[in-house]
Amino acid sequence: MRLLYRMAIRPVHHIMIIQLKDINKTYPGSVPLHVLKGINLDIERGELVSIMGASGSGKSTLLNIIGILDNYDTGSYTLDGIPIKGLNENRAAELRNRMIGFVFQSFNLISYKNAVENVALPLFYQGVSRRQRNRLAMEQLERMGLADRAHHLPGEMSGGQKQRVAIARALITKPSIILADEPTGALDSHTSREVMEVFRSLNAQGMTIVIVTHDPGVGAETNRIIRISDGIIMPDNA
Amino acid sequence: MLDLAREIMQTIRTNKVRTALTGLAVAWGIFMLIILLGLARGVFNSFDDFTSKREQKTVRVRNGSTTMPYKGYNKGRWIKLKDTDINALVNAPDNKYIRNAVAVKYIDSAKVSTQRDYISNGLQGVFPQTIRLSGVDMYRGRFINETDIREMRKVTVLSKKSAETLFGDADNAIGQRVTSLGLSWHVVGVYTREWNEDETFIPFSTAMMMSGNNGEVHSFRVLIGNVANEANGDKAEEEIRRILAREHKFAPDDKGAVGMWNQFTNELTTRSALGILDIAIWVIGIFTMLSGIVGVSNIMFVSVRERTHEIGIRRAIGAKPRNILTQIVLESVSITTIFGYIGIVAGMLVMQLVAAVVGESDGFKNPTVDLSIAIKVTVVLIIAGALAGLFPALKATKVKPVEALRDE
Repeated sequence: MRLLYRMAIRPVHHIMIIQLKDINKTYPGSVPLHVLKGINLDIERGELVSIMGASGSGKSTLLNIIGILDNYDTGSYTLDGIPIKGLNENRAAELRNRMIGFVFQSFNLISYKNAVENVALPLFYQGVSRRQRNRLAMEQLERMGLADRAHHLPGEMSGGQKQRVAIARALITKPSIILADEPTGALDSHTSREVMEVFRSLNAQGMTIVIVTHDPGVGAETNRIIRISDGIIMPDNA
Repeated sequence: MLDLAREIMQTIRTNKVRTALTGLAVAWGIFMLIILLGLARGVFNSFDDFTSKREQKTVRVRNGSTTMPYKGYNKGRWIKLKDTDINALVNAPDNKYIRNAVAVKYIDSAKVSTQRDYISNGLQGVFPQTIRLSGVDMYRGRFINETDIREMRKVTVLSKKSAETLFGDADNAIGQRVTSLGLSWHVVGVYTREWNEDETFIPFSTAMMMSGNNGEVHSFRVLIGNVANEANGDKAEEEIRRILAREHKFAPDDKGAVGMWNQFTNELTTRSALGILDIAIWVIGIFTMLSGIVGVSNIMFVSVRERTHEIGIRRAIGAKPRNILTQIVLESVSITTIFGYIGIVAGMLVMQLVAAVVGESDGFKNPTVDLSIAIKVTVVLIIAGALAGLFPALKATKVKPVEALRDE
């Protein structure tokens, strides 16, 4: 029902931005741990999706694979038309830099860099000039309503502000997707709603956003909930 | 590049105290290296100065006594060098190394006096060539010349020190008269010499006449040539001994019969000893520095460990392993180079101070470190810093970007 609705309002040239086919991942060890048991998942451009699951469900591993932070054993993964398989560290870093904007639970800002420098950091690794990247970072901060906090260190900001700085950093490379890992996990309910509002408005502007969470409240604010349990994706009606 | 430098300075600044303490070890190491090298340089310079001022390829020959019986003579016979030996040495048909020789006639009992004061270092009867062989610099007037020898003139060349003793002022000594051996002598020259200003020179012929023309001389200086290494030098020595053995009838292999001091081989030995000293100092200095470097390496390990999460974040947002490696290595190079330079500058200042205070005393001259050494030390610093950072940096590249997701 929901799928039909979405197809009706989106343009016809829907591109699958994330295509996971039969992804398997086993952590080796004396007792090998089969964490992902054949994941099939398609996410379209412009979707706002949440991936939910209990701890140990394989949710984090899935996030790592989608974020090109980890490899998978079998299956195939295509991100915005690019097959992601057996990449070396350099290529993976490059793709992460250009295609994925990360938002983390604990913000993961660098404590000794001010807001502008934190936001500009991904562009540093693209070799963008300092002047240019500070200008772009400033623009992103303005969009997040944080222009007046630009030269504050993370320690001088509230949790909500920090998370908005982190979102600005995720957006600065104009990525294909935003990948958020428990983005409200460290925030109070009021700030959580604020951050979710930011995500919703970004999504309204066309950004594809994948949020990994175990908070049903957060899940409810997304357009689709993907439930993962014990290494497999549960059917929609589960 | 400037960007990277800024990035590095930012991370260094976040750990000021720790960086400063580590840096201090490096600065101290370099400081000690510079001091040691400076001191060695002082000894070297002094030695170079000493040797460059005189003819190096000479052998001094003195009277000695035989240590083995030969052709019916008993051992223990005193061999007295004669002025005629000079001819024998220079004109021997089979000499390969001897180029020239001059004799010195030493009248050790002679006192030299003026109305003002006296000196009692004896008189040295010398040839004009002696000026070249003994490293004296004329300060005023001239040295003994051929005419002095031929006419057996009663002229003398004083040292500056002696002239000051005798006349109060070395500048006015020329043309004045001194008394020695009951005769009046004309001062024709005043010399300076760095290491020994005790000798008073008179013409050789005059000295021979004053001591009764018995043909006995005090010593020879033999100028040798055609020598390049220690083996040649020893051969030249053997040649001199062989010719003198023929003249004085002692065994050619009797090393005690005449005393020899081979300046050429001596200098080679000293030079190689100094070379070893130089190497030793570099080794000691580098090991001192190494302890500083190990400190840097250690601190970089700690830093990498502490920043695992940060490195993970950087990796997650697009830093390549190479970026991380470069950053850590350059951080290490920066710390070592900056503090190394503090050490170099401090060391050089101290050596300048030493140079100013000690001045040019015996065996020590201009103990400052020159630019080439500073450049060498800089290269060593950069290499050492890179090595110190390399292993921590390699460890840092092993940090997985997943670390960024881990909660602190």
